[in-house]
Amino acid sequence: QDPTAAHYMFQDDPFLMPRNAANARLYSLSKEAGRNAAKYIIKQFPQYFDKTFAEPNIPCLMPETLTPEIEGVSEEALKERIHLRRVKDSVDLFDQLVQAGTPVSLETTNSLLDLLCFYGDGESALEKQEEQKEDLEEPGVNASEQKARKRQSQRGSQSSDSRWRENNNAERIFKVMPERNAHSYCTMIRGMVKHGASAKAYDMYIDMLNERHKADVHTFNALIAAVPYLKERFLERWELAKVFLNHMAQQEVQPNLLTFNALLKTLRRCGGLGKSMSLSVIKEMEALDIEPSLATYDHLLSIFYRGVDLCSSGIILEVLDDVEKRSFIPQDPDDGMDFNVSDNLHCLSSGEKCCDLKDIKLAYRLNKVMEKGDNWKFLDMDKLNAYWSKFFSLLCMMEQIDVVLKWYKEMSPSVFYPTPKNILDLLQALDAANHLEVIPSVWEDMKQLGFSRRNDLLEELLSLMSRERHPDEIQLAFAKCAEDIKAFHGQSGREQAPLEWTGSALGHVALLFSRVGRTQDAWYVMMERFQQINRIPTDQVMDEFFACAKQTNCPDEAIKLVKLAASLGLPSSQRLKSRTEKEFELSEKQR
Amino acid sequence: PLSPQTRAARVRVGKGDKPVTYEQAHAPHYIAHRKGWLSLHTGNLCGEAGAAERALEDAFLRRFLHGTFPGLLADAAVLKRRANLLVVCVLLARGLAPAKLHFLGGYAETLLSHFYKCPVRLELQTVPAKVPYKYL
Repeated sequence: QDPTAAHYMFQDDPFLMPRNAANARLYSLSKEAGRNAAKYIIKQFPQYFDKTFAEPNIPCLMPETLTPEIEGVSEEALKERIHLRRVKDSVDLFDQLVQAGTPVSLETTNSLLDLLCFYGDGESALEKQEEQKEDLEEPGVNASEQKARKRQSQRGSQSSDSRWRENNNAERIFKVMPERNAHSYCTMIRGMVKHGASAKAYDMYIDMLNERHKADVHTFNALIAAVPYLKERFLERWELAKVFLNHMAQQEVQPNLLTFNALLKTLRRCGGLGKSMSLSVIKEMEALDIEPSLATYDHLLSIFYRGVDLCSSGIILEVLDDVEKRSFIPQDPDDGMDFNVSDNLHCLSSGEKCCDLKDIKLAYRLNKVMEKGDNWKFLDMDKLNAYWSKFFSLLCMMEQIDVVLKWYKEMSPSVFYPTPKNILDLLQALDAANHLEVIPSVWEDMKQLGFSRRNDLLEELLSLMSRERHPDEIQLAFAKCAEDIKAFHGQSGREQAPLEWTGSALGHVALLFSRVGRTQDAWYVMMERFQQINRIPTDQVMDEFFACAKQTNCPDEAIKLVKLAASLGLPSSQRLKSRTEKEFELSEKQR
Repeated sequence: PLSPQTRAARVRVGKGDKPVTYEQAHAPHYIAHRKGWLSLHTGNLCGEAGAAERALEDAFLRRFLHGTFPGLLADAAVLKRRANLLVVCVLLARGLAPAKLHFLGGYAETLLSHFYKCPVRLELQTVPAKVPYKYL
């Protein structure tokens, strides 16, 4: 792995390489936007792209044909529209068929119900795009009506799970159907649960039981997932879930992995009861020979590690053992959901609590697991960044400074972009190990990452630099940093609000300047800036400045300092005056 | 020896204020001596077909790139064909923001892939400005 290169999706050029997390996200999103623009062009003008001269023909590079072929009112036309996912067209065609009196077969009606429940009687993405285009193309329509429609379709596209409206198309068709079989009921229940109408789903389930139909595994999964929305108290939720499980056993439906995952998800919302029950759920799973997936472990960990107080990290070790032994394939929509991140979060939080060395070993093991096989596919860019930043914080807390610096150099511009918290942790670790000469390079990184305007980081940096005296070259480097920071404060304007100086920051800067012997700069800082922000420099600053003035042999400066101190009414002005008289040879006028 | 009336791919000597890149400054008889090829494919080898199609594709690609990256091309694009893959190496000036260059890159790659039914990879390199070799 090349530590200086960015992710392979970016172009390999110093100008085009992202320097911080925000830039990385921006560039990857803009590349994706470019691809979408190209796809839009291809969809608009398919006539230029559909010549097949490649042998063999590559279907994924040809434009898609989405317009239905068969015209006229017939069942085949309905089937085709359902296949192409055109919700509104298929509903209209169905109504036309029913009005014309032609019987529509049960399978077709069922597939229509499937389509409607999947999209929740909203529109599929295609139709929304066309609606928006039609809005744009009809200038004759009333402008306000147009805007209202566009806004609504935009809002509809933003809320991906839309609400289940009363008496919408799916329910209407369901009621109208002359005969319904188990499949219709199942579809309706799953659609209702998906789009939030859990109570109606439960009623429909009762209806189905009355008609003595059998539900299938997916319906039961949906019902179990809907349990938290049906009951409030923990015990009632668990009882209802057990009722569903008993029904499942009665109807001889085999539970599968998703059933158990839904059960665990429900147990997550059951508080303390969840802890005791989840272990028995896992044992059931093993008895039935179903291998737990990543989502299972995720639910388990969140049940056990919720809240601040932590019983034992026993279970996380077992989980990690299991995870290391097997390789995972995605089986559940929740799998991609931050398994590794939540894992690391838990081990990080446990690391903070007990400060136990074995937790850093946990982190290393987790790292190895992530690099093995296909596991990297579960983390996308944002989650990768979060994972690495948590890992790095843990490292800074627990490990020696050499290891920390090695990881930092390897990971920093290529694999992850440090967050401000990471930089703070790094500075503290450097402080603990007394390695403060690395600070100028950290400042360079900070500038590159765009953190140079964050007050907390600047404070930390300046205070670390100015705390003690250091050998001279390091002092020079520090003074250069201080000058950079001063320049940053100076340049206000553009779109950002100007950076405010704080008293302590100014004091540190003055200190650093005076230690190096740059009297002019230090004096400028003292006079102008302190007056500007109405703060008083500390005694330490005064003393340092005095020492600097003595070193460079400028008695005028010393006198100016004394006058300043006197004007500000500081108690140390007397002391400074006496020092001045003693240590400098002053002419009569100056005296 | 070449006739003095040849005018192919040569930049004529002028007043001395015209910056000319290395590529432009050398005449075609320097190819394989001081210059390389701008388009690499196997169509011109003995027994291979398709040279004319490749030439047509090259012409289209150069015009396409000239239009997609308006005013940013610092030098002629180099096209390399490896099996089915088309690698387009473009030298750009830093006129647009990096996010916009990524956008144009993604757009060009997808569009060209769909147009030519083969995977197209775009390799961009940025320079501060056009690099002059001499002034003619």
